[in-house]
Amino acid sequence: MLRAVRFPAGGVGMRKDITVAAESRDSRGKNEARRLRVSGKIPAVVYGGAPDSVAISVDPKQLAAVLRSGAGHNTIFTLSVAQGESSPVMIVDWQSDPLRGNLLHADLKRIDLSQRLTVKVPVQAAGEAKGVKQQGGVLELVTREVEIECLPDEIPASFTINISELLIGQVIRASDLPLTGSIILLSAADAVLAHVISVRAEAAATTEETAETAAEPEVIKRGKKEEEEAGEDAKKKKK
Amino acid sequence: MLMPKKVKYRKQQRGRMRGKAWRGSDLSYGDYGLKALECGWVTDRQIEAARIAMTRYIKRGGKVWIRLFPDKPITKKPAETRMGKGKGAPEQWVAVVRPGKILFEMEGVPRDVAERAMALAAHKLSVPTKVVVREETI
Repeated sequence: MLRAVRFPAGGVGMRKDITVAAESRDSRGKNEARRLRVSGKIPAVVYGGAPDSVAISVDPKQLAAVLRSGAGHNTIFTLSVAQGESSPVMIVDWQSDPLRGNLLHADLKRIDLSQRLTVKVPVQAAGEAKGVKQQGGVLELVTREVEIECLPDEIPASFTINISELLIGQVIRASDLPLTGSIILLSAADAVLAHVISVRAEAAATTEETAETAAEPEVIKRGKKEEEEAGEDAKKKKK
Repeated sequence: MLMPKKVKYRKQQRGRMRGKAWRGSDLSYGDYGLKALECGWVTDRQIEAARIAMTRYIKRGGKVWIRLFPDKPITKKPAETRMGKGKGAPEQWVAVVRPGKILFEMEGVPRDVAERAMALAAHKLSVPTKVVVREETI
């Protein structure tokens, strides 16, 4: 089995000195949310920890910058609510417009820096696989994120797997990831992260698909019992 | 051509295409994708033509995913037929596409090759599209 290598480039500890300003909002509903978006802010919610959840409004540009940063959604930053709390948070969910791609809503979770948490960390491939370069295969990244449990200061920006020795038919599994510190892998250990597949098999499969001649598809008929029941119902209605 | 193996009813009403594609609007498999910008019907023939155009251009270099399936039957009456006498016979299969839907995905090729292949595929489709790249989504 090939060993995956994690380069130090990503670094550990996704806590950053970023402060995002927010205001609590009393308005609810899609109309108010739409007005808020027109004014240049987006609705969001903060939850987790001891206090109750708080509905807030934030600048989408600041949140988008956090999402685009190296650690992405695993970045722990400080949320400062006007006349309210100031706590370390993480983006756990977000909605974006399918066409424009701009943020519409975000879920922020308060993070207790002393407690372990579950996060999804992206997996990146480094190098050029021998199976691609020499054998003409295609590299497929099957799993792009793995779920781990660790302390907030231990969250890696990403796991980088070295695929340069990968030949056709060989795979790198989640169990090959070298986990440092108190990180525990929660994803299935035998989950395939990356493999090199033969392109010829793919091409053959597609030609088979095209060879299928198209008549009309089979129509699912009702069973005998159902038909009898339906017939009886119709008779009763006539009576 | 793509079509369902089994259906419950042979014919369907035409329906409306309202709203955006809130599902199926993110890249799930590959690094590059072709995203629909408007709504419309994409026929089984168009999907097949787009797939062939893409795979021929990348010359077995990468992997292609088709993210739409034509599961809606479209009927047509024969030429020079009087109106009435029931709905026509099923003629073709279409996929209902809403704005934002990812139609195709690709992986295992350089960006310039993927963009050119996607552009060739876009010429075969009846909806305007744009190429999206995984790194550039939020």
